[in-house]
This record gives sequence, structure tokens and C-alpha cells, in this order.
Amino acid sequence: MTEGASRRVATTSPEPAGGAKGQPIFAAEGVVKRFGGIRAVDGATMSVGEGSITALIGPNGAGKTTFFNVITGFYRSDGGRATFRGKPVLGRPPYSIARLGMVRTFQITKALVGMPVIDNMMLAAPNQPGERLANVVFRPGATRRREREVREQALELLEVFNLTKLADDYAGTLSGGQRKLLELSRALMARPRFLLLDEPMAGINPTLGRRLLDHMQRLRAEEGVTFLFVEHDMEVVMNHSDRVVVMAEGRVIADGEPHHVRKDQAVIDAYLGATA
Amino acid sequence: MTELLPVLPLAVDLEAFASLGFWTGVGILAGTYTIFALGLQVNVGFTGIFNFGQAGFMAIGAYSMAILVTDADLSFWLAMPIAILITMAFGLLVGLPALRLRTDYLAIATIAAAEALRLFALNARDLTGGAQGIFGFDSEWDDASDAILNGLESLGWSNPETLFPLFLVVWAVAILLMFALTFLQKSAWGRVLRAVREDEDAARALGKNAFAYKLQSLAIAAALGAIAGFFLALNLRFIIPDEFLPIFTFLGYAVLILGGLGSYFGVAAGAIVFWTIFEGLRFLELPFDEVQIRALQFIVLGLVLILLMAFRPQGMFGKRQEMVLGD
Repeated sequence: MTEGASRRVATTSPEPAGGAKGQPIFAAEGVVKRFGGIRAVDGATMSVGEGSITALIGPNGAGKTTFFNVITGFYRSDGGRATFRGKPVLGRPPYSIARLGMVRTFQITKALVGMPVIDNMMLAAPNQPGERLANVVFRPGATRRREREVREQALELLEVFNLTKLADDYAGTLSGGQRKLLELSRALMARPRFLLLDEPMAGINPTLGRRLLDHMQRLRAEEGVTFLFVEHDMEVVMNHSDRVVVMAEGRVIADGEPHHVRKDQAVIDAYLGATA
Repeated sequence: MTELLPVLPLAVDLEAFASLGFWTGVGILAGTYTIFALGLQVNVGFTGIFNFGQAGFMAIGAYSMAILVTDADLSFWLAMPIAILITMAFGLLVGLPALRLRTDYLAIATIAAAEALRLFALNARDLTGGAQGIFGFDSEWDDASDAILNGLESLGWSNPETLFPLFLVVWAVAILLMFALTFLQKSAWGRVLRAVREDEDAARALGKNAFAYKLQSLAIAAALGAIAGFFLALNLRFIIPDEFLPIFTFLGYAVLILGGLGSYFGVAAGAIVFWTIFEGLRFLELPFDEVQIRALQFIVLGLVLILLMAFRPQGMFGKRQEMVLGD
């Protein structure tokens, strides 16, 4: 826990509402992704303020998930630039982006179903010497110490998300909502500075959703974690984000505070299908 | 026993099963295949990569060792570690392009690599002796074997089975490897391997270099294939390309499925059951000729696998939950 405490001190105190005005932790410029003749992402430009909770919205097929996949390295981009804390991320493999502190979750949860919940959690922790074969054999002491540490952190996080009693169950036995929580807490095990959540609220009951949103607020306040999340529930977007980015047809068509975006004509047109 | 025989539908001579020679032979084969299929377990059971070229790794290991001993006059004991390294290097060479392929394509690529290798061995006569194969690489092993036999005799076993030392050594190595692999599997390294098996993208999203782990997994399988190749060579006393046909990889899969995915000790159980059935059929006095017995071996094996799939799909030691859980 000492590590967590020192981290809290080290991070600049985030301003809850003014997060959008903070230094951008992430910036994308003219990002393009083509599939054959289709430009799924067509020059998307946006930035995310450090310590903000930014919502990414847009009609189906707007390119939100594709954009996620490009900036996290899962798709190769066909143009544009993106930086995380000043470091270019396009062209980096996904694992390397995750190690920078930019961690994502998936729209369709990727619980590692054939592994226990606790192993799902422990997997995600960074800096594990035991992940190298040579260390397992030649540095058993350091490996075991870190393993204990990681297990403790994992159990603490599971406690926070009320998953403790499921720790030894296979992740495949969890309900859809529990898997969403597991995926979020697992992503947190990776100690992210910037968390990208693809429809974290989809398919979970309102009580769990509520808890998830509370956690996001708390993590932002306590640890200065920045969030970018794709969401379709407008009530959630309006009440829980301090900035909204709107995508349509592969481009960013609006970017601003929730109540401004709501009145934006381009946004209304995009959602209602009016031709520009 | 003899009174029982007439009531059996077939005249079955169970005497063979009481002989130590039979069990020594079965034991050597089972031990060799345990090591062979441990490699498949690392790949298929724990990493989710479908390596169908294990017989190829076995070939590289056995041939490298034999060539180093007979052509380069290297000591047999030194040739083995070098052969393991050569085989691992070959595994990486195959893996670098092939592991970028999805499961089924990877299977095709690996089986092709193994077959290319076998055909090379068949045709590169100057190096491999072609269809004639290689002999005379095992004199140093014979000395060691004699020493073990003398030891057994001094322990009071008069006239021990000549192949018994090989039986002892192959199982000592197999058991050691099972413990070593189980130990590695319980580490954070093993956890990443399993995560790659479950969902490669999830592992990558959490900062794990999935490709590097798949390469390591394949290199380890290659090393195990090479070690199995040494024992195969010592058991036969010669090596020929026909010993490395793709069928041997498939038999390895039969061992793996019998024992169950995700258990290193299951592999040993699978190999013992497999070879007891497979070799046992040859020693039953059935009214068939040799060719028919050969066919019968596969019929019975097929039947066993079908029954296993019907009643215990996870194999003897596999975890049912890991198998049935899915999205």
C-alpha cells in the first residue's frame, strides 16, 4: 500500500471539473484506418486532458472501436499521429503501449475463462521478474517476493470490486457483469495512467454500472487516472464525463463539455441521420 | 491362469505380460513418448499453439546428435546438448514466420516443416545416410549402459534385462522434466503462457509480448522433441527417416489426449496406457498376421479415443472446467 500512497502524493492533484483543461495526456491527429475501400477512421483528431474522464460517443459504425484498436496498437494505422505523454504510440505493438501506462478493455469482455479470477488479476501486474524464464530458475527469491506482492494487490482490488469470494473460481463461471468488473479491475492491476474502456457499461445491471462509475470517479480523484470511455447511454455520458468527443463516419465532429455537445447541430444531425 | 484360457473367446497368451522384457520395451517407448508429448503439452495444453511438427524436432535432435558423433567425432555426451541447441534454433526459425499464423495455418506450416525435414534427411545421403540411416553413434552409451547393468548385478539381480538401463534413464529424465515443467508452469511465466492460450489479445492488452512467449513455448517443445529423439535413437540403435513420419506426431497427440490437456503428469499416464495397449496387442496370440495386427492397433486405439471423448473428454488428468468453459 505504501507504493499506492507515494503515487498519490507524486501525482499533481487533479481538478475534478477542470480536468479537461489539464495538459493533454493523449493526443491523436488525423488518424486513418482503412479496410479495403472503407475508411473506418478517417482523419480523427482529438486530445484527452490528464486526469479527465472523457466520453467517446457516436452512432454505430462511427469508428469508435476501430479508433481504439488503432491507438492501442491492435490495428496498424494508415496515417496520422498519436502520442501518449509525448511518446508516439502508432506503430508500437499493443504490449508496448500497455507498458507505457495506456491500458484498454474490450467491448466484448476478454476474461481468461480457463483461468481462475486471481490468476486473471495477477497476470496484469507490471514488472514481474517471474515472467522471464531465466529469473524463475536463477532468481527464485526475487520472483517469489514479487509474486506475493502481486497476489496481495490483486486481492485488495478484488475486495474493492466485491469479487473476493470468486477469487479461486474460473473466470468462465462469472456472469457478464462480473466479467466486466473483472476486466476493469484487471486493467487496474496493470497500473495504468490512461484507461480506455470500450463500452464498460454494456450488458451490466444498473447497480453494477453505478459502482463502476463510482470507481472511475474515485480512481481519478485518488490516483489521477485518466479515462476515455465509449458509451451509448447518454445519461451516463452527460452526468459522469467532464468532456465528450463525438465521432461520426470516422471523424471527430464535436469535442467539448457535455452540455455544449448536447446542443451541437452536427451532433444532432449525426445521431438523427440528417445529411450535412 | 491356464484353466481360465479356454473360456476366453480368443486364445490369449498372457505370458508375455508377465515378462519383464515386455514391460521394459513398453516402458522405454512410453518414456520416450512422454518426453515427446511433454513438448506438445507445453504448446497445445498451455500455450494454445498447434504444433504438428514435433516429429520434425525429434528428427533434428536425433540426426544432429548422430551426425555430430559419427562425422564430427564428438563425444556422445557433448553431442546431445549441442543437438538440443540446434533443434531449438530450428524451432525458432520455424516459429518466427509460422507463429504469426492462426491456429490451423500454424498446424499446416509446422507439419510441412517437419515433412520437408524428413524428405531432406531421406535425400541428403552424404549427411544422413539417406534411407540407410545412421548407425554407430551409441558406443559411449553402451559403456554407460554396461556400467548400469554391472551395478544392477552387484545389487543382486543376476542376468538383468539388457535394455533395463535405458528404461531407467528414460524415466529418470522424463520424471525430472515433468517436475521441471510443472514448476515453470506455476510461475508468472506459466501464467502468461496460459493467458496466451486463453486469449492472446487480452494478454497483449495487458502488456505481455504474446509472440515472444509463443516462440519460447515452441523452442521448449523443440528441445523436448530432441531429447525424445535421443532415446528413440538409443532404443533403435539406428535412425532412418521413416522413424519421423507425421504419424508419430499424431500418436503423440493421442498420448496427449489420453492423458489430458493441461497436465504434465497426465502425459506420462497417457503414454503408458497408449503403449501398453499398442504393444500389448502384438503379444496377444490373436488369429491375425502381422499386417492385420498393425491395423488392429489403430482400430483399438481409435475406439479407445472415441470412448474417451464420449465419457471423459478431458482425458485422464485434464481439467474438465478448463475445457468446457467458454463464452
